[in-house]
Amino acid sequence: MASPTLDSLDTSIIDILRGNGRATNQEIAERLSVTAATVSARLQKMEDARVMRVVAVTDFAAHGYNVIIALGVQVRGRNVRDVGRDLAKLPEILSVNVMNGDHDIELLVALRDFSEVQTFLFQHIAGIDGVAHIASGIAVDIVKFEFNVVPL
Amino acid sequence: MILSDGRARLDMLDQRIVAKLARDARISNRAIAAELGVTEGTIRTRIRKLQSEGLIQFTVVTDFRMAGSPNLCMLGIDADPSHISDLARRLSEIPEITCVVALLGRYSLLAMGLFTNIEQLNDLMTDHIRSLPGVQRVEASISVHNLKYEAGIAKITRGGPSDG
Repeated sequence: MASPTLDSLDTSIIDILRGNGRATNQEIAERLSVTAATVSARLQKMEDARVMRVVAVTDFAAHGYNVIIALGVQVRGRNVRDVGRDLAKLPEILSVNVMNGDHDIELLVALRDFSEVQTFLFQHIAGIDGVAHIASGIAVDIVKFEFNVVPL
Repeated sequence: MILSDGRARLDMLDQRIVAKLARDARISNRAIAAELGVTEGTIRTRIRKLQSEGLIQFTVVTDFRMAGSPNLCMLGIDADPSHISDLARRLSEIPEITCVVALLGRYSLLAMGLFTNIEQLNDLMTDHIRSLPGVQRVEASISVHNLKYEAGIAKITRGGPSDG
């Protein structure tokens, strides 16, 4: 898909929202000397074209997620994307990527506490058809986590 | 628990506010207040508190296409245990690396970044990462397809802009 082109007003709106995602259309309009209706229309246009989105990012802690695990999954005997789609249905799995590498699928998983780990790994994930091997890494320190460019 | 830092859990009202914001980050305080039957001032105060505690932040995410459709690359790094903290800090300083996690298990550290070409990734690995003190092995893999990404849940690791 070709990337839609943004003009300077679009990028100015994005810049202001990067600093304050909850700036009102009126506040943005005043800073850019346009009307609030124009700001509203531009935002709508960019969101409809899936160019950008303003998101409320909540910390793992706000959800009570204390255990973050990075899992590498090897698949055997089944289409990798089909396995990935089944994994994506589990709400504890925050991201699913089909990989070119040692593991076929990489997952980021958030759980509330360690007592959930065993059931989640060995029943929920291992129970999906085609999952042949799981390599797990438990996060002890998340030093940097800045995803501003995402698949929308 | 390893990742929790003693911050108070959200009460019912906080949770309901967060749920509204997760659906629409730009919903007005007034609209949230009306829907939840509390005052606009209460909503403003609650959101400010969540922001100052680093539990919520409002930001813009742009689509992959706007950055030249990069691929997410993951680097699994095995390292000398005495160097891990230092390495995590050095990796975080590399602008192309957007995520650095110290792990127990499969690797010592997991680093991620978005790259539009393999050469750029290779240069970073050979010139900047393999040569860092304590690095024993770097295993790279490239995402060829993203099937799920929750943009709304993350580790808030830097002080977000103060807004409200």
